[in-house]
Amino acid sequence: MAEQLPEQAIKSDGREYPEDPPPLLGTWRRMYFVVIGWLTFLIVVFYLFARRFAP
Amino acid sequence: MRLADWLVLCGSLAFVVLYGLWRGRGSNSVNKYLLAGKTMPWHAMALSIMATQASAVTFISTTGQSYVDGMRFVQFYFGLPLAMVILCATAVPIFHRANVYTAYEYLEQRFDARTRALVSAIFLIQRGLALGITLYAPAVVLTVLLGWPERVTTLIMGAVAVMYTTLGGVKTVAWSDFQQMMVMTAGLVAALIAAVLLLPSGVSFHDAVSLAGAAGRLNAVTLKLDWNDRYNLWSGLIGGMFLALSYFGCDQSQVQRYLTGKSIAQSRLSLLFNGIAKVPMQFFILFIGAMVFVFYIYEKPPMLFERTELARIQQPSMQAEYRPLEQRYDAAFESRKAAADRLIQARRSGDSRLRQEGLEEYRSAQQDLDATRRQSVNLVEKAGGAKGLVDTNYIFLTFVTRHLPAGLVGLVLAVIFGATMASISAEVNSLATVSMVDIYKRHFRKLAPDHHYLNVSRAATVFWGCYAVITAQYVGRLGSLVEAVNLLGSFFYGGMLGVFVLAFYFKRVRARGAFYGVLAGEAVIFATYFLTKIAYLWLNVIGCLVVVATGVLITRLGRQ
Repeated sequence: MAEQLPEQAIKSDGREYPEDPPPLLGTWRRMYFVVIGWLTFLIVVFYLFARRFAP
Repeated sequence: MRLADWLVLCGSLAFVVLYGLWRGRGSNSVNKYLLAGKTMPWHAMALSIMATQASAVTFISTTGQSYVDGMRFVQFYFGLPLAMVILCATAVPIFHRANVYTAYEYLEQRFDARTRALVSAIFLIQRGLALGITLYAPAVVLTVLLGWPERVTTLIMGAVAVMYTTLGGVKTVAWSDFQQMMVMTAGLVAALIAAVLLLPSGVSFHDAVSLAGAAGRLNAVTLKLDWNDRYNLWSGLIGGMFLALSYFGCDQSQVQRYLTGKSIAQSRLSLLFNGIAKVPMQFFILFIGAMVFVFYIYEKPPMLFERTELARIQQPSMQAEYRPLEQRYDAAFESRKAAADRLIQARRSGDSRLRQEGLEEYRSAQQDLDATRRQSVNLVEKAGGAKGLVDTNYIFLTFVTRHLPAGLVGLVLAVIFGATMASISAEVNSLATVSMVDIYKRHFRKLAPDHHYLNVSRAATVFWGCYAVITAQYVGRLGSLVEAVNLLGSFFYGGMLGVFVLAFYFKRVRARGAFYGVLAGEAVIFATYFLTKIAYLWLNVIGCLVVVATGVLITRLGRQ
């Protein structure tokens, strides 16, 4: 096969990038809420931990 | 270092590198070399992202910081999960669909070649300056604690990282990062278990946590908003989010990780995993530092963990001042140890009055010990040593090398070496990619066969690798400037983030506004740093807002 033209070699992989759903929870929006919920949970736990052992 | 340590260290590193090379075989085109042919699964990208972000200094310095200042540094990472969500919703699909090799390539599609060149140059300057320090910082600690020559350690770490990066490209980098992250996790878990097991038999884990908390070492969340305070909930959530957005959205060393994904979904999952795992991981690392602090309540720590400077104040000419200081330090250590025992007994008795008295006695003893350490820092300065010495980077490795059993020392050193090589390989790989795609191909040779660009990419990798090793030999001479160079990252990220915010969210803004917006943003960031006392985390927020405001304003004025 002849060498590719540089622009073809560099630019396009000929793929399309559809919006695949996540493997869990059905939608990405729900996944994002889980991450934000997890962060909120961690902050609350760390706060309670810090207060419990505060001098 | 005993034989078992050498075996564990060399065995771990050899396995990581060989595994990476095996997984990265067949990278024989530019697409495969720089983007792994877009075949990477989310779990490999996720751990590669985390390994790239976690340099050796993260492990050495974070634990030391917790020992000295408590766990409040964890708040620095609170904005990261928010940034991961924003990037998954915006940057990831945009970069994937734009079919780009670098984040800056997209800027030419959206604005013009001038803006792409400006931001690429900013990245090369900022990452290039940080490169030598990434390699040098752990080497200097290993030199002081183990006597290994800096030149040898930087050369070994740099040469190995550059070798596998040059041979296998981004795929090898990602898979070796994956294994390095496994080694890092194993090493840290082992270090925590050892720190707890090494406590005296009468001190339980709950006692240890109570003692760390009573000394203010478990201060993980501070609600008070203080603009000059580096770490509180608000600077972490807002400033930390902007910093993470800049780092993961605009820094090619991170963008290139998730551009290798099989699909948008795989790239998103890798970032979301980082958003979920990063904060607990940092909490865990800081908690190790807190347990090391408790360990040193019962085992007398050196007055200064930086041995070279300690030796300086111990020399005969300084003895008249050092001896009384040492006596005060010994007395302060013994009184803190006794106070800690009394506090434990008071807590177990359940008597609140006794507990309060014990707490006050313990905190007073801790303050005496801290004061003595401050006096020793002043004495170092008086003896002609470092000004305002900070020895936090030496604390964790002092604990490791002096107190951990054979084999475990080698494992923790493998963590340090692995973390350094993970960061260096990703940085060199990204610098080579930007040099080839955004500079060489865009401005010097637009039309050439694929194998030509592959060879240029390899040559650029070797160039940046040599640059890293050579600059690492000299950054030590910069002294306190090492910290200043680290700060340069926060000087540039705000401007870079601003131009991507304009690109993604302000459809009407044109190239002229984006270009001058970046210049204005950088000018304001430098002015803010040098003319005010605002904590550096806010520089990213300020820079980003100035770029956006200037970009919008210039575009509007241009229309009128």
